[in-house]
Amino acid sequence: MTPTAAAGAMRMRVPRLALGPIMVLVAWQGLAVAVPGDFLVAGPWEVAGHLWQNAGLYFRALQTTLAAAATGFLIGNLLAVALAALALLLPRAEALIAGLALLVFCLPLVATGPILRVLYGPGTGPQVTLAALAVYYTTFVPVLVGLRATPAAWLDLVRSYGRGRFAMLWHIRARAALPYLVAGLQIAAPAAFLGAMVGEFTGAERGMGILTLQAMRGLDTEATWTLATVAAAVSIAAHGGIGWLARHALSEPPPVLLAPPQTGSGPGLWSGLRGILVVGVVAIALWWALLQIAGLNPFFAKGPGDVWAFLVSGPGADENRATLLAALAETTGALGPGYFAGMAMGAALAVVVTLAPALSAVVMPVAIALRAVPIVTTVPLLVLVVGRGPVGSAALVAVMVFFPTLVACLYGLQRAPGQVLDVMASYGAGRGKALLYARLPAMLPAFFAAARMAVPAAVLAVTVVEWLATGRGLGALMAVSASLSDYGTLWSATVLTAVLAALVYGIVARIERRVLAVFASEQAQ
Amino acid sequence: MPADPRIAPDIVCKGLAKRFGDVVAVDPLDVTFRGGQTTALVGPSGCGKSTLLRLVAGLERPDAGSIRIGDDTPDAVRAQAGLAIAFQDPSLLPWRTARGNVALAQRLAGQRVDAAAIDAMLDLVGLDGFFDARPGALSGGMRQRAAIARCLITQPRLLLLDEPFGAVDELTRRKLSEDLPPIWQARGTTTLLVTHSVTEAVLLSQRVLVFSPRPARIVADIAIDLPDPRPGQETTPAFIDLAEQVSAALIGGEGPSPRRLAAQ
Repeated sequence: MTPTAAAGAMRMRVPRLALGPIMVLVAWQGLAVAVPGDFLVAGPWEVAGHLWQNAGLYFRALQTTLAAAATGFLIGNLLAVALAALALLLPRAEALIAGLALLVFCLPLVATGPILRVLYGPGTGPQVTLAALAVYYTTFVPVLVGLRATPAAWLDLVRSYGRGRFAMLWHIRARAALPYLVAGLQIAAPAAFLGAMVGEFTGAERGMGILTLQAMRGLDTEATWTLATVAAAVSIAAHGGIGWLARHALSEPPPVLLAPPQTGSGPGLWSGLRGILVVGVVAIALWWALLQIAGLNPFFAKGPGDVWAFLVSGPGADENRATLLAALAETTGALGPGYFAGMAMGAALAVVVTLAPALSAVVMPVAIALRAVPIVTTVPLLVLVVGRGPVGSAALVAVMVFFPTLVACLYGLQRAPGQVLDVMASYGAGRGKALLYARLPAMLPAFFAAARMAVPAAVLAVTVVEWLATGRGLGALMAVSASLSDYGTLWSATVLTAVLAALVYGIVARIERRVLAVFASEQAQ
Repeated sequence: MPADPRIAPDIVCKGLAKRFGDVVAVDPLDVTFRGGQTTALVGPSGCGKSTLLRLVAGLERPDAGSIRIGDDTPDAVRAQAGLAIAFQDPSLLPWRTARGNVALAQRLAGQRVDAAAIDAMLDLVGLDGFFDARPGALSGGMRQRAAIARCLITQPRLLLLDEPFGAVDELTRRKLSEDLPPIWQARGTTTLLVTHSVTEAVLLSQRVLVFSPRPARIVADIAIDLPDPRPGQETTPAFIDLAEQVSAALIGGEGPSPRRLAAQ
């Protein structure tokens, strides 16, 4: 870039950064004007007015939810760091720790919420716990990668002075993992807020979640849009604030997170069936042991044996299985199309934006900001706009998957090595050829990383919509069985969902590993 | 250079062997590196000379054979912070300043962090005015200077240099090899220097060992008896003669067949 071009870019940057949000506001206001009637879309102007009139109400609700979210955020992230350090220090147990962490992360909040509500009774316990559960895995993975991603020479340096693992962890790895931790924390902030809100859905006294339920029941358009706006603003602010703090505290900026490849001992022993088996056996043992130690009422607390009896050996097992499978089919029917549509649209828009670089400066900041929005909190909005049919669930899943995919793919497309592009240009290859031969291959690792992390997010989205809005599928089944105290169904559905989500995640991770081996061998270990 | 065997003991390797899977890096090898001297290890890439260095540092375990540094094992020397190693990549920690990186060595070595000594050392390697710069703000040559300062600050008995000037441009490389070696040579520190450069080997060492392609076998042991200081002698007949001896051994060890070169 010539000096004048660089100066030009500097001048353009400030208005462009503001351009994105302004365009979003204008489009939103335009939508509000264009859509007939007052019951679908409340524009930014109406939202601002509604917020102004009910400032006290929203402030108190936000305070409550933020307090729970912040506590859960803290606990969840501390847990994540501790788990990552443990996995590092016990390399043999790493695959087991990662597998269990994934399985617990895949437990649907829709089901764990009501179970935790019974356990805790009234209060903020479920909100805090769900917030912690919603964040720990997305911090655990990058921190573990960060702890391990240290150049071998740094570790040799420590060893050359006769020092061991602890000195490596203290002097080298902990600090080297900080940017990764920050990247994890940025994702965790909106997730914690979402977890706290879902916790409130299970029957809290106050908070944003309660207001959301009220707004949805009352078909209160203004309140619904206001709540979604406040949740979005808080999440974007937290995401940006953590990034800002990190840029000032660290000498280097946090990496644009591509949720990095799943760590593990690589293909072979653990990632095969045997690994799954070990994780499964340990999970069942822990589940059984926890129930024994806690001494919970067996009417409510179902163990592995109860679930087995419910699904396989007990009376009515056939019927139970049929109910569950029917619900599973409904859920998959919404989840699959939504997931693939979201991935495809995210990647496609990223490609379009790359071919028209002028767009990227506008789209990228908006996409990064919207990626931080806890999409699930916009469920009531979606119900207003799309209705309660299966299309709504699929649409929400697609939106949930869309933004992280878009951001990751944009990042990947930009990572095509400059020299490779120069080689293409030297043969007179146009943008299309450069895209096909250089940029798309460079995008693949990012695309698959997004695809993997989107699996639990999509499951979360679809079950929450089913619970709150459509009344179909596993989400609704879990909600109904929780309210009817049908704990056999609730536990079975929970286990089924978690296991399936974890398995799909694992399958995507395996495909990802193959792709990485070819297109980003430096990441594939 | 007078070498006190108590301070600068010989390094004796006996029957040393190391393999990585099917690749034999070091075949049974007997070699003694004299204390107080700089020995240059020259050979084709991948011949196992870096592995030899890492074995002496105790960073790799030999499959067979033994290494004694005086009466000590490499591990014992490491534990007393008696050795320091520099790599082709300066391997500075990006979040620490030049001072901080040098201080880390003292901390890892279990020594008191001595701010005055650190500043004096950074000054000595030519980093005056960049004490508080982070590696990202330093040039490649300056980073290597900081890495050498980090090596020397702990007063090691044994200095292991794995192509320390290999990643910088030719001019910087010349400047570094004029400025830095006199610092450790003045101390009489036993030094092993892995290098690709014949000139550098002759310029910096008292003895050049030429290795064959993998597995490492010593094909020539050439004493470099040039007077100090060496810089400026590169065009003298004595220097050129020694350099040609090393080159000839290198080419001889490589074997005459170009196919063998291509196969590497």
